[in-house]
Amino acid sequence: MTTRRIIVEPRGLASLRLTLGIPAASVLLALIVGAIFLALTGNSPWEVYRQMAKTAFGSARGLSETLISATPLILTGVAAAVAFKMLVWNIGAEGQFIMGAVFAAGAGIALGSGTPALIAIPVVILAGGVGGAFWASVSAVPKVYLGVNEIITTLMLNFIALNFMYYLIFGSSSPWRDPEVSQFPSGRPIPDSGRIPEIFGSQRLDYGFFIAVAFAILAWFLISKTRWGFEVRVVGDSSDTARYAGIAVPRKFLGVFLMSGAFAGLAGSLYVAGPVGALDPRSLDLGLGFTGIIVAALARLNPVAVVPVGILMGALNNAGPSLQSIQVPAATVQMLQGAILIFAVAGEFFIANRLRRPEKKPQVAVAAQGGEA
Amino acid sequence: MADSTLAVEFRNIDKAFYGVKANDNVDFQLRKGEVHALLGENGAGKSTLCSILAGLYRPDAGEFLFEGQPTVFKTPKDALAAGVGMVYQHFRLVSNLTVAENLALGHPKLGVNISQAELEEDARQLGEEYGLPVDPAARIWQLSVGEQQRVEILKLLYRQAKILILDEPTAVLTPQEAQQLFKTMRQLAAEGRSVIFVSHKLHEVKQVSDRVTVLRDGTTVGGADTADAEPRDLARMMVGRDLELPTRDANPDIGEATLIVDDLRVAGDRGLEAVQGVSFEVHSGEVLGISGVSGNGQRELAYGIVGLRTPTSGTVTLDGEDVTAMNVADKIDRGVAYVPQSRLGMGLAPGLTTEDNLGLKAYRKPPYSNGPMLAASVFKEKGAEWIDRYDIRGVRPGLPIRLLSGGNLQKALLAREVELNPKVLIARSPTRGLDVGATEAVRNLVLAERAKGTAVLLISEDLDELLALSDRVLVLYEGKVAGRMPADEATPERLGLLMAGHKEEAGT
Amino acid sequence: MNESTLILTLFAAIGLGTPLVFATVGEIITERAGNLNLGVQGMMLVGAVAGFWATFNTENLLMGIIVAMIAGAAMSSIHAFASVTLRVSQIVSGLALTIFGTGLSSFLGEAGSEPLVGNPSKAVFEPILESGLADIPVLGPLVFGHDIMVYVSWLTVAAASFYVFRTRMGLSLRAVGEDPASAESAGVNVARVRYVHIMIGGALAGLGGAYYSLALVPTWQNEPIGQAGWISIALVILASWRPSRALFAAYLFGAAERLGFTLQTLGEPWSNIPSNLLAMLPFLLAIIAMLLLTSGKRAKFLGAPAALGLPYFREQR
Repeated sequence: MTTRRIIVEPRGLASLRLTLGIPAASVLLALIVGAIFLALTGNSPWEVYRQMAKTAFGSARGLSETLISATPLILTGVAAAVAFKMLVWNIGAEGQFIMGAVFAAGAGIALGSGTPALIAIPVVILAGGVGGAFWASVSAVPKVYLGVNEIITTLMLNFIALNFMYYLIFGSSSPWRDPEVSQFPSGRPIPDSGRIPEIFGSQRLDYGFFIAVAFAILAWFLISKTRWGFEVRVVGDSSDTARYAGIAVPRKFLGVFLMSGAFAGLAGSLYVAGPVGALDPRSLDLGLGFTGIIVAALARLNPVAVVPVGILMGALNNAGPSLQSIQVPAATVQMLQGAILIFAVAGEFFIANRLRRPEKKPQVAVAAQGGEA
Repeated sequence: MADSTLAVEFRNIDKAFYGVKANDNVDFQLRKGEVHALLGENGAGKSTLCSILAGLYRPDAGEFLFEGQPTVFKTPKDALAAGVGMVYQHFRLVSNLTVAENLALGHPKLGVNISQAELEEDARQLGEEYGLPVDPAARIWQLSVGEQQRVEILKLLYRQAKILILDEPTAVLTPQEAQQLFKTMRQLAAEGRSVIFVSHKLHEVKQVSDRVTVLRDGTTVGGADTADAEPRDLARMMVGRDLELPTRDANPDIGEATLIVDDLRVAGDRGLEAVQGVSFEVHSGEVLGISGVSGNGQRELAYGIVGLRTPTSGTVTLDGEDVTAMNVADKIDRGVAYVPQSRLGMGLAPGLTTEDNLGLKAYRKPPYSNGPMLAASVFKEKGAEWIDRYDIRGVRPGLPIRLLSGGNLQKALLAREVELNPKVLIARSPTRGLDVGATEAVRNLVLAERAKGTAVLLISEDLDELLALSDRVLVLYEGKVAGRMPADEATPERLGLLMAGHKEEAGT
Repeated sequence: MNESTLILTLFAAIGLGTPLVFATVGEIITERAGNLNLGVQGMMLVGAVAGFWATFNTENLLMGIIVAMIAGAAMSSIHAFASVTLRVSQIVSGLALTIFGTGLSSFLGEAGSEPLVGNPSKAVFEPILESGLADIPVLGPLVFGHDIMVYVSWLTVAAASFYVFRTRMGLSLRAVGEDPASAESAGVNVARVRYVHIMIGGALAGLGGAYYSLALVPTWQNEPIGQAGWISIALVILASWRPSRALFAAYLFGAAERLGFTLQTLGEPWSNIPSNLLAMLPFLLAIIAMLLLTSGKRAKFLGAPAALGLPYFREQR
């Protein structure tokens, strides 16, 4: 008997039910894994999850804070989605986010309080995009023109950016540092004219959330509706075929890389010009770049799907610290997010492939024997 | 059941890929000490059947008896342990390792600590014994295609294989090298080993094999002792109908020289010059065939002409304009169409839809795009029109093109290139791996271009195809033109000698 | 800088480089099989907490090491399953492992009624071989007086070198990393080779992580390994996939980490260099080395396994 038990076949097209169902199942499975670890360490998973849901969605304030947490994640998610889709392995959203924040805060401080908000706010936001793209270019240019692996360089630049920010605030008397406070150094506040206004008087949520959503839609539009986007999709699918069709592959690669960096940088500017209001290392050292990778993977690299997934991850981030009030580690959230990513990644296999049993053949019936002859 | 003269027996074997049946109820018997030919057109299921025997694929259903015992080869390792080895069409050698290391790789009898010197000595002795000389210390990438094939056979002999499967071994050889291989095959059979010889060439099958099994559309359609088989009957069995593949008509309407290549030099991948001063003209309405053993500069020549690699010197002239230094996009604009050898590797974007792929050469201009914006509706309309006109089957909305069959992929690729209304069409082995129906369609498309007045450059290792379609033939050897002649004067023997580097007497 | 400062710095560099040696050799072995595992940081962190926990409960260092290696291997098996069996992107799968491992490590350190965090280890690796030949100038003080894991790391490097280049299994390993299809048809079980070597890599990463929590920083705190996992991935390239070179690459980075401390001891003007800038040094070093070693044509001579990062499916057509 030579038949096989299970046959793996690629699915040409996955149904909508499957493309939605499998990411949802990854979240569910991650929650189950989390529950096991929680139970093993003597916590009630039910209690923990209830606490998290209540914190993230249970009140107007909770919802506002969830959307605030989601704002940078949507943009770092878009940054990872556009890059990974084109096989640009930009793992540097973390560093590009920080440099975006540095540039945005720098622009806000330089403009001072005399500039009208109508000019100051766009300048501050765009400065973040420029900062992110600039930091990405440090990896992108050697990658495109010299073939230097971008995975390593973007990673290393994350830690350089982080230490650079520490240096600006803790290690020097730079213009980013608040001269008023000498005891415990912190960032110099961006003047109000450069800050993104809040929507409601009562909650902290600002217009940055909607700006992030608009950028996500812009990313989708650029990739699916423009000639540039078509070229980029061809490059991402097969760079040899792109060259064959006369597409300037290095330029497209560079463009995607810088665009990815710019989105991560915009996340930084919306963060400092929004809820934080200054280049504050304690608020920026959050792993938002890496979480963006989770967002992108769970959204299956679709820039628009990044929005709801970003809100989900924002809810988790928002709920994390509150767990300490019931003596549960805040790291529970990070563990859950990691597990979600693992299941989401594994789920790709089941979206791309179908498992089936071979068709039965009635006339064949020979006992199976060992493989060695 | 226990016929002791049988080495292998297959009964009712099924194997499907992505829902397409490659083997459907195949029966096959192999005796000890025979050369058994597996005959069939491309796509008939020969390679799949061999890969199952070699443990590479597992059948979906059916029975497999090895020396009378029901058996499963789960992996190539199981098959090798039982004495079954295969030389694949695309060699399975690790190119950065040496010949000796490739022989040792995966060998179960070697100790934990291996000695390079001992391995090399073993390899040298084995090579001498079977008339398969290679340098055991050489790395695979340094060897010619013929030498690599010898290493593949040595690899199996080193494992003491009792059954050797050679999948289209002559496709990469000159006719003279093929004769040498046939001698080795007969020697192996005389030693009591079984050799499966996969081919779609009747004259080779007739010459070397004891028995023959014919496959068509994935099924066994017949078998015979070779000596009793009439070539005509075998051909009919193989093709299923009395089909004559299209060939060029005798009276070409040849016009001006459209493409002029003069003293062209193009670098190869490893820095050496792969094309070393090649000159030729292709006229409007003419097919110029370029033959040669794979790796003699064909790829670089094509790259140099279409702009994928800038020539180091020499000129390419298209309709009187020097286009040598132009990039690919500019050459596409001027009517250079190119059908590369590996369809999914270059030429098609495997993950994009058929419609997107059909627009891959025209997307820069209206109506496909309007300034920076793409017109999705045009992709859809034009796509539907061409899918219909060129009979491209299996397309569904949103389906990545890689899931189409080889024949449909090639039809899609050619449709796109032909719809450019090119002045020059460069095609590399356009029917390689296609079944009869698709081969017919592709050949007709190429001949239709010729009739329209396009200059066609056909680069192929398949001499039958080359001679059927070309008006003139040119032979490449080590990056240089070894000979050129009108197709009417070309014979496989004559071309074979030139492909192997033998100089012809003056007068050509 | 006088001689004794130099020797002290180099001596410290060996200690600080030791976890990098383990992790880098592990990742070299994994990558030689054609698999890129970006989960080193996560595996090291889980190894660090698992090893600390085991020693905390048994007061036995060997138990700590064994448990750390098992934990690292278990973590890597997740990546092996995803990238070999399910054939998902190795890059994303490895990143997932790091994110999960980082969270899990912190969670395990803080969870429970008596969390580990803040507790000193119940046993710590101590220097051995302090007397005897330590009088030999320069070499003596550098070679002697380390803890046993330093010597274990040297043995690991030697064993890995021998294994990769001189054994039958090493030949299969290299062939799988270069050309899995050819290896498979020569009778090598590609999936098994990849699984085994991914898990060896995981075990060594776990061991490297435990060296932090049991020797270098023997009080449990969140993320005690700095960015060692990421650095190791860069070191693989600097070592050009050769275990022997991993040793020197790791010590170079150990020295870079130590430099800040050394400069403090040298006094003005050296001690005025801001520590935040010095902290960038290892990362800058990695980038500069990447640029020098891998740009343009030079990359070809480094010897990266040709099939690195590519999934393999036997029945691919």
